Amino acid sequence: MSQRKKASASQSKSQQTNVNEDEMTLSQMTSSQVQRARENFSSVQIDRKVAEVVQFILVKDQKKIPVRRADIVKHVMKEYKVIYSEVMNRVRRTFEQVFGLKLEEIDTKNHIYILINKLEAGETVSMCPGNPKSGLLFVILSIIFMKGGVAKENLVWNTLKKLRVDSGEKHDEFSDVKKLVTDEFVRQKYLEYVKIPHTEPVEFEFRWGLRADIELSKLKLLEFVAELHDQDPQSWTQQFREASASESRT
Amino acid sequence: MSRPMGDSHRRFLQSMMSNGIIGASQAKALHKHCCETHGAHYAHDRLDEFIDVINTQLQPMFMNIRKGMSEEDGLQYYALVNMAETDVTRMASDYADNELELFRKTMDLIVDSESGSASSTDILNCADSLQTKKLKKKETEHVLNKFVQDKWLNEKHGEYTLSVRCIIEMEQYMRVIYQDLIKVCHVCHNIALQCQICENPRCGIKMHLPCVARYFKGRSEPHCPACNDFWPHEIPEILRSQSQGSQSLSSSAKENTAPTPSTSTTRRSKRS
Amino acid sequence: MGDEDEIGGGPSGVSDEEDDPARRREIRSKYRDLINSVQQNREDMLNPANNKLIDVLEEANRLFASVKQAREAALDAQLLVLATDLGKEKASQLHAEGSAFDPSAFAEHLLSFMGLNRLEEEDDDQDGHLNGFLPQDAWQKLAKRSEVCFKTAPSFHYMLGSFLAEPPPPRQRVERQRKAPSKEAKRIMPTQLKKMEESQQEATEKEVERILACLQKYFADDPEEPISYYEFVIDPSSFSRTVENIFHTSFLIRDGLAKISLDKEGLPCIGPVEEGEIETGGAADRNQCVISISQASWKELIEAFDIKEALIPAPKTLSQES
Repeated sequence: MSQRKKASASQSKSQQTNVNEDEMTLSQMTSSQVQRARENFSSVQIDRKVAEVVQFILVKDQKKIPVRRADIVKHVMKEYKVIYSEVMNRVRRTFEQVFGLKLEEIDTKNHIYILINKLEAGETVSMCPGNPKSGLLFVILSIIFMKGGVAKENLVWNTLKKLRVDSGEKHDEFSDVKKLVTDEFVRQKYLEYVKIPHTEPVEFEFRWGLRADIELSKLKLLEFVAELHDQDPQSWTQQFREASASESRT
Repeated sequence: MSRPMGDSHRRFLQSMMSNGIIGASQAKALHKHCCETHGAHYAHDRLDEFIDVINTQLQPMFMNIRKGMSEEDGLQYYALVNMAETDVTRMASDYADNELELFRKTMDLIVDSESGSASSTDILNCADSLQTKKLKKKETEHVLNKFVQDKWLNEKHGEYTLSVRCIIEMEQYMRVIYQDLIKVCHVCHNIALQCQICENPRCGIKMHLPCVARYFKGRSEPHCPACNDFWPHEIPEILRSQSQGSQSLSSSAKENTAPTPSTSTTRRSKRS
Repeated sequence: MGDEDEIGGGPSGVSDEEDDPARRREIRSKYRDLINSVQQNREDMLNPANNKLIDVLEEANRLFASVKQAREAALDAQLLVLATDLGKEKASQLHAEGSAFDPSAFAEHLLSFMGLNRLEEEDDDQDGHLNGFLPQDAWQKLAKRSEVCFKTAPSFHYMLGSFLAEPPPPRQRVERQRKAPSKEAKRIMPTQLKKMEESQQEATEKEVERILACLQKYFADDPEEPISYYEFVIDPSSFSRTVENIFHTSFLIRDGLAKISLDKEGLPCIGPVEEGEIETGGAADRNQCVISISQASWKELIEAFDIKEALIPAPKTLSQES
């Protein structure tokens, strides 16, 4: 276990340096250099590259894993990385104009992107049944939000237990729940799962991940939670204030 | 150059993404819903033009919304398909390498069969000889379920067949890879897997069951449309839903998108 | 934490009484119990309706009176950190504006929304035991309703292009002519079938045992009188029961639990194999024979043997099947 963690830590470190290298090459180029570089590619070639990056991001989104700029450069952009920002601008435009999606940079330091929906969620749009996993995610995110932004691991597990989801048992729909919540949801950046300092034995707590901040509407979430309680959303004064503030930010 | 997309088109496309495939009647209802939601002009008979607008924009990404007929119920379906085979498309993460190899082998078995289907027994047996990584029987069963759930395969009584979604997306691939193993339907000229075959050895044309039903409808003495020999198979009934017009979104949503075969009686009689 | 601190003695210069290892161990153990109970019952402690937190602190005060050395003091400090943390959270609950969020109530509301079937009137949760079950689509239903909170992008899934194109192995086309399924193909059955067969097998085993018991009973009634095989297996009221009896009895023969012999008239008789008898026969003495019976021969046999009733009563569980 610890070995695996170590491995992934060193992996992300190497990715980090990779990103920084790109940063260098990208920021050191003057506009005239970019201009010259651009002339090396025909517009057909650039169109093709844009389409490939769009495909790449769609593929990465199949499992909702955020995309790193380093990976885009390494797997698709390659020698086109000198005109990275131009290609990415057109990728962004394609997502908005064709798919109604928005490419968001959730981490501007490490350049990590996710796709979110620009269209308002309709009442009857989706003909497919809900994905049970997002029901589980909703519950966890609600607890965290209603608890003021952070929830102790035990509180989350105990609440889920009441919903017949036991972190120690294999669940029919979620199979390994502990792995789903502390690994998959974390990698998708819906959740943060962090060690609480100075705890012995070690305790963990959950917070909203970077994706959740952008992909969820706190106000809609609070409204649903209130509806479940048959209460006015405003009766949770602090949560309501926070939800309204985040709504006006977007 | 091309008509621009509006939010109604985008919503339609998004719905195609999350469903993968929808029936023609659902597509009609969805068309209406998308136009009404975004206050766009709605013409009930302009669905294909509406889709063309989307397809023009999808072209550069090698994506397409394509229409096709189900071999089982004879109904029209719309599927969102990928048309490219590149290093990028091979990064798809829905299935592991050995799961994809199993899918390929299942296709081999189905294309190579007389009935257009492969038994679970045969598929389970070929899971032993996977080159990527062996699958246990239990895992194979699980993967097959996943393929059915994701609408790539259909299953009935332990027999697996290729779904409409699979045939719509893989048609070109199958023609190239399987070449002369692939026969087309004499009536609709699409790939014919589950079908009836003319028993005249010099003829041997194939016809989809729904095509047979439509072609011989009302004829007492069925003869092969190519060689005029007697057509020795049982003629299936035209399904009631086949002749039905559009349905509302809610009622069609219930039946979902996976067509259920209802021609098993004919197939059974053919085998015996 | 563990036994290792048992090894370390106190620093020199402390009196015997203060250094008494047994006493120190006892104090540490009590501290650990206390810490444990705080961690386990966190939610309970936070409940504004009780004073459990104060009880814990008072207990800690009593313990601290006998703490003389650093190791015990460290445990006291650890407990205090926990208690302070809880106290802070408890206080913030009281001072928060508006209603406080109660996760247990939230869970209850969610269960109602998901359509929990409550089996009994009584309140669950009392002893941590959960009553009732959720319908199969419970999580889907919740997911569907919570969809509006998410601005999730739909994802694109495809099959073409996800693997390298590869033509099928050529041998397949040759084999195509000979279409009969090979033995190889028949050998491995789908798991689902296997499962069904397993349960069938269990049923068979039970039935075989029941028939053996029957045979042993008739034999015990009169060990001298041979039991006619046909009289034993034939059920004059049911042909299918007769076939089943023959089938199940064959297992008794195969497993060496019963034997068939011919009487003076050359008619088959059946009897149980007694203990110790099995060895003497050995494999060489075994014979195989196939018994066939048709509806017509069944009727003939009933008449010839004048069979009025079945010696093997129809099993209770199977009766609904016929």
